[in-house]
Amino acid sequence: MNLESPNIVSLLAKQFSGTPLEHFLHFWENVIFSLITMGIVGIFVYLASRKINLIPGRLQNSVELLVEGMNHLFGEILGAHGKKFIPLAGTLFIYILFMNLLGLIPLLKSPTASLATTSALAVCAFGCFLYTAIKEEGLMGFLYHMAGKPKDALLMIIFMWVFIFPVEFLTVFIRPITLSLRLRGNISSEDSILSLLTHFGFGGALVMPFMTLLALLAAVIQAFVFSFLTTIYLATIFNEEE
Amino acid sequence: MDYKAAFALGIPIAVGLAGLGSAIGLGIAVGAALDGIARQPEALGKIRQNMFLGAALIEAITFIVMGFVFIILQRV
Repeated sequence: MNLESPNIVSLLAKQFSGTPLEHFLHFWENVIFSLITMGIVGIFVYLASRKINLIPGRLQNSVELLVEGMNHLFGEILGAHGKKFIPLAGTLFIYILFMNLLGLIPLLKSPTASLATTSALAVCAFGCFLYTAIKEEGLMGFLYHMAGKPKDALLMIIFMWVFIFPVEFLTVFIRPITLSLRLRGNISSEDSILSLLTHFGFGGALVMPFMTLLALLAAVIQAFVFSFLTTIYLATIFNEEE
Repeated sequence: MDYKAAFALGIPIAVGLAGLGSAIGLGIAVGAALDGIARQPEALGKIRQNMFLGAALIEAITFIVMGFVFIILQRV
């Protein structure tokens, strides 16, 4: 859709142009890069956890730092009841972070720069939210929750169902759309600007370090925002005001 | 008027408005965060974290607009 620099899969596809292999590669481009990041994360964590010492070395220390930080950050919001969702949020954070950073390496492309990957992630997160909400409160309970829990007086009940329910419904169901569009827009814009700078010759080469720093910042922040928003949406199910 | 001329007039205005809205929103958000820090300096860590979260949410609108602009540019 936007300008993009060539990557391994597109170069390979151009070599075999005209054969079915090209269509295959072009179709599964994002999935191939997602598998590459899964491989990188998997190998990294496996090497770190092979021999667990009591006093950790460098690699194990970095992984422990990551896990401890996420436990502290997400556990504080979710509370005791939602402790089982910390792995989901942590996995989303690490996975999206590595996918965003992949695009900054010269011959690779971020899978999150396309709407397909980000909407898949948003559907996963929102699906988990819907399943938990309906399992926790039942279908009618979920609708009651969205209508603001109308109580005794008939006038209140009518008022809340007519006025509050549509707005809350829209707010809840637009969340996957904004989650996916936010992540996709951020990462694809950063990658497009970086590939646009290559057309500018020498001036572009001067600006590129600053742009890369900005892209790094955006990658980390957007991964954090995605997982943080997922935990907040999950926490709204559990925390009721008494 | 040619339709390409109409797009050539309209698209830069769209981009500019996206930037304007985002800048005003971020200015208000960061200003409020600075007020909070000035009022209570020991809450610096929590306020900074929430400020970054709010800034990312505000920036999202800008990037959604830019995504639409690029789609339109492809079609013209």
